[in-house]
Amino acid sequence: MSFARLREGGPLRKTVILVGLALFTFWSAAPVLWLIISSLLEQKALIAQPPDLSPQNFTLENFSTVLAAAAALGRGIANSLIVSLFSTALALVLGAPAAYALARLPVPRANGIAFLILATQMLPGIAIAIPLFIVISKLGLIDNVLSLGVVYLSFNLPIVIWILRGFFLGIPSGIEKAAAVDGAGIFATFWYIVLPISLPPLSAAAVFAFVEAWNEFFFALILTRQQAQTVPLVIAQFAGQYQTVFGQMMAAAVISVAPVILLAVLFRNQIIRGFADGMMKG
Amino acid sequence: MISTFEQRRRRTGLFFVAPALIVLAAILFYPIVDSILLALQRVQLAGGAVTQEWAGFGNFERLFTDAVFWKAARNTAYFSVMEVVLVTLLSLGVALLLNHPFGRSGFFRILLIVPWALAPVANAVLWKWILNANYGVLNGMLKSLGVIGNNQVWLGTPLSALNFLLIVDVWKSVPFVALLMLAGLQRVPQSLYRAAYMDGAGPWRSFLHVTLPTMRGVIAIAIVLQTIWSLRVFDLVFVLTRGGPADATVLLNFLAYRVTFNFLDLGYGAAIANVIFALTFLLAAAYVWLLWPREPKGAR
Repeated sequence: MSFARLREGGPLRKTVILVGLALFTFWSAAPVLWLIISSLLEQKALIAQPPDLSPQNFTLENFSTVLAAAAALGRGIANSLIVSLFSTALALVLGAPAAYALARLPVPRANGIAFLILATQMLPGIAIAIPLFIVISKLGLIDNVLSLGVVYLSFNLPIVIWILRGFFLGIPSGIEKAAAVDGAGIFATFWYIVLPISLPPLSAAAVFAFVEAWNEFFFALILTRQQAQTVPLVIAQFAGQYQTVFGQMMAAAVISVAPVILLAVLFRNQIIRGFADGMMKG
Repeated sequence: MISTFEQRRRRTGLFFVAPALIVLAAILFYPIVDSILLALQRVQLAGGAVTQEWAGFGNFERLFTDAVFWKAARNTAYFSVMEVVLVTLLSLGVALLLNHPFGRSGFFRILLIVPWALAPVANAVLWKWILNANYGVLNGMLKSLGVIGNNQVWLGTPLSALNFLLIVDVWKSVPFVALLMLAGLQRVPQSLYRAAYMDGAGPWRSFLHVTLPTMRGVIAIAIVLQTIWSLRVFDLVFVLTRGGPADATVLLNFLAYRVTFNFLDLGYGAAIANVIFALTFLLAAAYVWLLWPREPKGAR
């Protein structure tokens, strides 16, 4: 048996791998497929035992009903967009230079600072949620999109810094030296040389931060009431109120997750590299 | 005074780092300090006004005699240990599958990224529907396969509810960890496998003696991170069970929330939050210790 053959394995191992891949596909895809199918089926066909999947039962009615009936969903999507864009954009603007400095410039105790920043990510939300709630109540900023955005910045900033730092650590130092020899200052080097070659990790960091902010539930639950409610809250409320209209519930869920799932699938290769570089490089 | 190149680099470096640090400190410093102070106070919320008075260690003493706290602690211990073991083993399995030539298709990466990006709340709502006692597809499937005779109320009995919480959370958590492990597997130098092959090692032995030792760091990181994440599971409990039945699915995190924001006992809630804080702190220290660069890095 050659080495190349060994990597693939004999018939037994091939069978095990194929069965494993089939199980993995079913396990990962089935719930998501059921989410989509449920959102497209009429209530009657959906609650039939077993569900009646004949083509004439498929409809977009659940979607149109949900969109027409629930003003909260539209407002939730608008709020989520504002909060996610706000916290992601600020995190990139503040995080990119910081990550560059921590990876490439002689900042005293750079590793210590980097790990301190990472450590803030490990804080359990509940520990800081109680004081934040008190402070924000006293300021009268409960149920305000921007106060939620600022709180999200506190966890998006560390994510962005760690993903970018992992990438910046791997840039060959020749690039910066060549720029310095050509007379470029540090700022010019960062702006004209480093940032343009960092577009893939920058997009990974941006998508990662956006997804985290879009999906966040806990702080939104504590810090918003009605005006500033984000999508996850609207969905959770829906699930409580319309427990029995399963198709509409699933349609609302599909609407709420579609934007970020699309982003994640489009940018999957950058995100996957970003995870690996950020989480495993010391 | 003319500064040297090195001095300028240092100054620019500080200038680059400072804004991010100041913003983080401005948002987080006070809440972190105050969360410890709050635990030492009796804090009441009435009509939007907050009243605070010092209570010494009263809140922490209460923890010892609070049966609900210990129940939540036991639930959390069971949930976290099982979650971390299952996620680690399944993720390693998935990563090995996808590292095989058959599993290299981009399709499988999409399968991993979708559950990761699915909002935890949407995920919980979806599983609430799947597990629905009357019309849920799980009951339907198991009945048609002849595994069960009658519809089961999966979230209706204590142990079953906690276990389903566990399964749903594992489903959601595996993809991210599997991606980390896959990246780790792809960094194992091929030459090591070749050498093992030359020495006559079969697939099992080369897994045991090449893959596992080189993956040790990645696996350790995954375990620590997953433990931290398992301690903060909240959305799932909130949507699926609200802690029921009979507090069987109350995890520490959810208990701290309930005590604080439903019972409005902010000081005691902060004390419970501090317990989670301390546990997480220890785990985070372990993570940093695992990741801390052991030798000086170049290019500084």
